[in-house]
Amino acid sequence: MTRSEHSARAASNPVAGMATVVVVQLAGAVFLRQFLLIEDWRLVIGLLLIFGAALVLMERVPSLEARVEAAFARHSRLALLLGMAIVLGFPFVLEGNTYALHLCVISMLYAVLALALNFQLGSANIPNFATGASYGIGAYASALLALNFGVSFWVALPVAAVVATIFGFLLGIPSMRTRDSYLALVTIAFGVVIHQLLNNLEFTGGPNGLVGIPVPELFGHSFGDPLVIFGQELPSQANFYYLSALLVLISIVFARRLHDSRVGLAWNALRTDELAARCQGINVTWYKVLAFAVDAFLAGFAGTIYAFYVGFISPDNFTFLVSVTIMTMVIAGGMDNILGVIVGAFLLTLLPEKLRAFSDYRILFFGVTVIAFLMIRPQGLFPQRLRRYGD
Amino acid sequence: MALSASSPVVLEGENLTMRFGGLVAMAEVAFTLKRGEILGIIGPNGAGKSTLLNIITGIYIPSSGEVRLEGERLNGVPAHKIVARGIARTFQSSRLFGDLSVLDNVVIGRHTHTKAGVFDAIFRRGRAKAELEAAAAHAETLLKSVSRGLHEQRHRPAGELAQADRRRLEIARALATDPKVLLLDEPSSGMDDADTDALMDDIRAVCAQRPDLALMIIEHDMRLVASLPHRVMVLDYGQKLADGPYEEIRKIPRVQEAYLGRKATQHAGA
Amino acid sequence: MSELFFQQILNWITLGSVYALIAVGFSLLFGVLNIIHFSHGDVSLLAPFLALTVISTLGSMLGDLNSLSVFVLALLVAIAITGLIGVLLDLVVIQRFRKAPAMMALVATVALGIVLRELIRHLFPNGSNPHAFPRLVEGDVMVGSLSVPLFSLVVIAVSVLVVCALFFMLNSTRLGLHIKAVSQDRDAARLMAINPGRIFRATFFVASAIGAVGGLFFSSYAGMARFDFSIDVGLIGFSAAVVGGLGSMPGAIIGSLLIAGLDTFVQAVVPNGASYRLVFVFLLVIGVLVFRPAGLMGRTLVEKV
Repeated sequence: MTRSEHSARAASNPVAGMATVVVVQLAGAVFLRQFLLIEDWRLVIGLLLIFGAALVLMERVPSLEARVEAAFARHSRLALLLGMAIVLGFPFVLEGNTYALHLCVISMLYAVLALALNFQLGSANIPNFATGASYGIGAYASALLALNFGVSFWVALPVAAVVATIFGFLLGIPSMRTRDSYLALVTIAFGVVIHQLLNNLEFTGGPNGLVGIPVPELFGHSFGDPLVIFGQELPSQANFYYLSALLVLISIVFARRLHDSRVGLAWNALRTDELAARCQGINVTWYKVLAFAVDAFLAGFAGTIYAFYVGFISPDNFTFLVSVTIMTMVIAGGMDNILGVIVGAFLLTLLPEKLRAFSDYRILFFGVTVIAFLMIRPQGLFPQRLRRYGD
Repeated sequence: MALSASSPVVLEGENLTMRFGGLVAMAEVAFTLKRGEILGIIGPNGAGKSTLLNIITGIYIPSSGEVRLEGERLNGVPAHKIVARGIARTFQSSRLFGDLSVLDNVVIGRHTHTKAGVFDAIFRRGRAKAELEAAAAHAETLLKSVSRGLHEQRHRPAGELAQADRRRLEIARALATDPKVLLLDEPSSGMDDADTDALMDDIRAVCAQRPDLALMIIEHDMRLVASLPHRVMVLDYGQKLADGPYEEIRKIPRVQEAYLGRKATQHAGA
Repeated sequence: MSELFFQQILNWITLGSVYALIAVGFSLLFGVLNIIHFSHGDVSLLAPFLALTVISTLGSMLGDLNSLSVFVLALLVAIAITGLIGVLLDLVVIQRFRKAPAMMALVATVALGIVLRELIRHLFPNGSNPHAFPRLVEGDVMVGSLSVPLFSLVVIAVSVLVVCALFFMLNSTRLGLHIKAVSQDRDAARLMAINPGRIFRATFFVASAIGAVGGLFFSSYAGMARFDFSIDVGLIGFSAAVVGGLGSMPGAIIGSLLIAGLDTFVQAVVPNGASYRLVFVFLLVIGVLVFRPAGLMGRTLVEKV
């Protein structure tokens, strides 16, 4: 049976389609909640097995996958509304667990970073090892503005993103003349240079970094205070939870719109064959630089939120290894697949935290994960999909 | 055909020389191509056929000489801008975007006719989407006109296509740029006779629909060279050996020795 | 000539020799495989840890031996094992990416480098901490009125010897000719009954073993072995190969001397230069890449269409 027949069948039964959407989304939410709250490592492994089994099932039974896909395509508005409701309500079901909320915030920031890198690594196949540096530039730019000039968070946020973007453009310039391995070296070098400068310059506080970054405020409500909604009190982390969730939403909108646009197509074209892309009239250099800028822009946002959330930053928050971590998330989740990249970010942020016994082996784990995925399943957990028009 | 003695020259090359280090890949080659004309280019491997295509499309910059499209110099114009000016090409070893759908390959060919940038894609989505959907609709029509079979496979990844369909898709992708000049680099390579016949019909159909389109075809298959082009240019060791209708050039002994050889003589005799 | 200036010159050439031993491996592997083996620096810096392991094992097995002979034996064993580890990495990981897009091999070998570093950290006793690593030779030689550390002379002499041996091997032996054949055209070489797989393994062994010599010298120079040395040294070795032009052996040596020169100069002249040395080195790399994308000695490749 072809995919379109399946879509037709799913479409002919709206109740079943809507039920599919609701069940899949709720199951995802419940899964994440349990994953965040359980402590016992055996249960963590058990949940992972369930997740793996679900993926295998989807892959082995394509009709099931097609059905879920068709249901989400047909009831996209329902999926969106329910998804937003779940994200908004999620902090309420975490039993006031501040650590779980904290993990959500960090996972979401990494999701933004992974989506940012996905523009390059996923869409255009440019290996950029400097996303961590752009993240750091955003964090330092906003923190310095706040500490030295008393600039408020809400102003620092876009300014820092612009600063990071300018650096992104600068980093992109060598890409006009260099490719592949050479370009990778330039990005690694850029990351090391930024780290070493942050570590040594006077005004960035050297290895101690910057401390005392003020807590943001919104309409008189300090983000350091507990959040009270409908008479229910949520820990102060919830402020940043909603803020990061908003940033993830914005990033998804960016990612989707770019992917489904002429720009995304041009990136995909140069990913497969630069020369053929040039011969279709694509200005390959410009699109590469653009990918660098978009990556840095989103990473700058994430950096700002991180700086104001944690309150202090140091060069070691933004090392080469951070870039490698982000890269692992994109590769494991699925290059050029938005859902996959987000799942990758959550999985790889949460796993080392949940498997405490292994937390010392975290970097080793990331390295092995990258190699294993590239060797065994280079398309990642969620492979990229072909575009459809006018659906 | 629209070609007549008074048809204007659309593309011309003058004194084209290409050196790689000490190696001279092309020496003082000149050519002209008229509107609506089909020019075949033949010559043994390493004769400079692909070099010529790469010079015309801006991938190589000639060491000396110049290429003019409708009188305008193309030297130094980057490859992507040459496409926008109206020269499209295919590749000898078909270079499709294999992990994208057949339709997307053609939509990418519309790149120079669409405008949306990052800003439009994010903040003026309606406009960007309408533009891309128009491009997709155009691509569908184009696919259908080039080959029905290809159109039916438009949602498959291009990498899964059979050899003959890959060639057709490359031609469709190149046509999507609305070229004035189309350069085909060995379109029939790797095809059997039946596929080649079908390809020739497709090319004829394409030309019939676009009487002004000028074509340059590099070929090895003598059946194609004998029947499709109006004129054939023979290259050997980077130099032009002959230029004229197939019936004439095949009689030149040097051409027979250099390239046509026994097989062609047989064809000619048959 | 002032004594200090002379010391700096000597420092420069010593450091340049060490970098060159690692850079030629990057260049050799790139020439043959056409991919970047990013973890080559990490492989090279396994050698000091292997040597320390051999020393402690031999010490406990055989009791007190003539320490110099044990040391030299340990170095040779470490070099051989490092070479074999290079081959092993190719067999297990890198060869899977021969036909894959360059980006994949690149990312995979970056990850491989991380794995190697982390393995040292976790498997070697107290792997996170620096371990004292002995000088190869102590003492000075008087040249006129100048005292020259014997260590520098040994490093420079051995490096020159190793590089000469490599050049001889590449240009005058059967293996070298096969390596060249494979690096120029893999398929043509196969037609000439050269087994590319064997050539790849031989190249990995040679490159990794030469890198091991560099790694040992570096640890000996620094007086210690650290698991994270390879980040700096690997990046510098790779940068040297890139600056010189990947695939060109003389380029790798020139690149190494250039980078070591800048390194030494910055540390001597710029205030607090030691903290900024990588900034300068990488600015040089980026500059060279922007203006001469194929490196100083590299040929600009014309893409085959």
